[in-house]
Amino acid sequence: MTHQVPFRRSLRIAIFRGLLGIARVNKFSTIARVKKLLGIVLLCCSYAIGAIAQQKITVAVAANMQYTIEAIKTRYHLTDPTEISVVVGSSGQLAQQILHGAPFDIFISADTSFPQRIAQASLAVAPPRVYAQGVLVLWSVRKDILPKPDMALLMAPGITHIAIANPVTAPYGSAAQYILKKYNIYDAVAAKLVTGESITQTSQFIATGAADIGFTAKSIVISDAMKGKGVWVELNRNDYPPIEQAAVLIRQPVANPAAARFYDFLFSAKSKAIYQQFGYLVQ
Amino acid sequence: MIDLEPFWLTAKLACCTTLCLFIIAIPLAAWLSRRSGLFRTVIEVLVSMPLVLPPSVIGFYLLVVFSPGGAIGAFIEQWVGLRFVFSFEGLLLASMIYSLPFMVHPIQAGLSSLPPTLQEAAWSLGKTRWQTLVQVLLPNIRHQLLTAVVLTLAHTVGEFGVVLMIGGNIAGKTRTASIAIYDEVEAPNYHNANIYALILVCLSFLILFILYWSNRKRGHYPMW
Repeated sequence: MTHQVPFRRSLRIAIFRGLLGIARVNKFSTIARVKKLLGIVLLCCSYAIGAIAQQKITVAVAANMQYTIEAIKTRYHLTDPTEISVVVGSSGQLAQQILHGAPFDIFISADTSFPQRIAQASLAVAPPRVYAQGVLVLWSVRKDILPKPDMALLMAPGITHIAIANPVTAPYGSAAQYILKKYNIYDAVAAKLVTGESITQTSQFIATGAADIGFTAKSIVISDAMKGKGVWVELNRNDYPPIEQAAVLIRQPVANPAAARFYDFLFSAKSKAIYQQFGYLVQ
Repeated sequence: MIDLEPFWLTAKLACCTTLCLFIIAIPLAAWLSRRSGLFRTVIEVLVSMPLVLPPSVIGFYLLVVFSPGGAIGAFIEQWVGLRFVFSFEGLLLASMIYSLPFMVHPIQAGLSSLPPTLQEAAWSLGKTRWQTLVQVLLPNIRHQLLTAVVLTLAHTVGEFGVVLMIGGNIAGKTRTASIAIYDEVEAPNYHNANIYALILVCLSFLILFILYWSNRKRGHYPMW
């Protein structure tokens, strides 16, 4: 017993000196330390990437599909455990990112022309395929506004802000712009338009009441997140060109079979039932 | 065709923000520089918060609080007739919050660095607190005042996140230069984006050059 105390003390002193020694050495070799640390981090990263490469895919999804894709994922996971990470944005933004080498496996667009551009740049495995047709709605959460498919309402002085998605990058935005021009009121309401960078931000402008009324996708207003908020009306389908939504499988240096499997699933009968449930039209 | 309207709007926003903040920041900085205690520290923390908070936090709260659907937004719209979302006034309020530390910090640091004897002498010679501040203290920290003004201007020009969230991208009202660049890149219209971006790069260089050049002799360097 009596020998233990000095022993412990000397051990403690030894450890302390050792640490001191390390600190002293490292003080003069910061670069070596950083290099070593960097090496360890890189090693860990490469292991991690190697381990998940086969089971994980990244899907770029147009904002109007953000709720639908969750339902699709849940259904898909009943039979396939592939981890699917979703990136949401406007179709134009996502297409831009893919053209600049973003590491997405599948691009689910809100139209056909953006996937077409990916295919033209030889970044697609096969030509884009249409999975569903989108429906445009006019939506308001203000109690005193009742949206109607004729555009006369938008001219009312009580309406000062009309939300629309950026027509250049969001297909639902360009469809809304098309309707306004068709009814010859685009110039009259141009000053009232507030532009969301995707259909998500546009919907958020409408849902918070920041904009009095606005154009968005039916799949947004009937989703669980937005259900029961305000009043929406489907616009006359002859008033705008059909929103043919297509997806494309993106070419990778090493083909990922998990991505191809999920891509095929997007066109299955099971997926089509989900699209219908979210208000899309399917053939 | 290059549309220069976003730049006029940005200049207008930056000037209005700087002017409003200058008026607010001087009494605030003077108060902060001569007090101590818990309350002062709380205020100081609040002033510095925009430095660490992402602009999306400010944008989010402004959107929620000031939308006409909310109680505060509805109240302001009814009684003041202002709507803070999708309007120039909204951007002004947001950039004032966002640039507050850039205006207050240099002024506060300047006032704290003055010897207390300076204001005591002014008081004993019969100047009021206000006269002391305007006629004695402020002229002594004119370099810090310049730093504060220039940094606020520059920071407002560089603002992006808040404007993206509550601006609504309305040409002539809320479409600032940084948003215009973002739009052109997304379009994709790299030629215009490049011209816009180059103008901003040159402007920023010029603004900061003026600041450093005018402060070079006294060894005063901007602090933030």
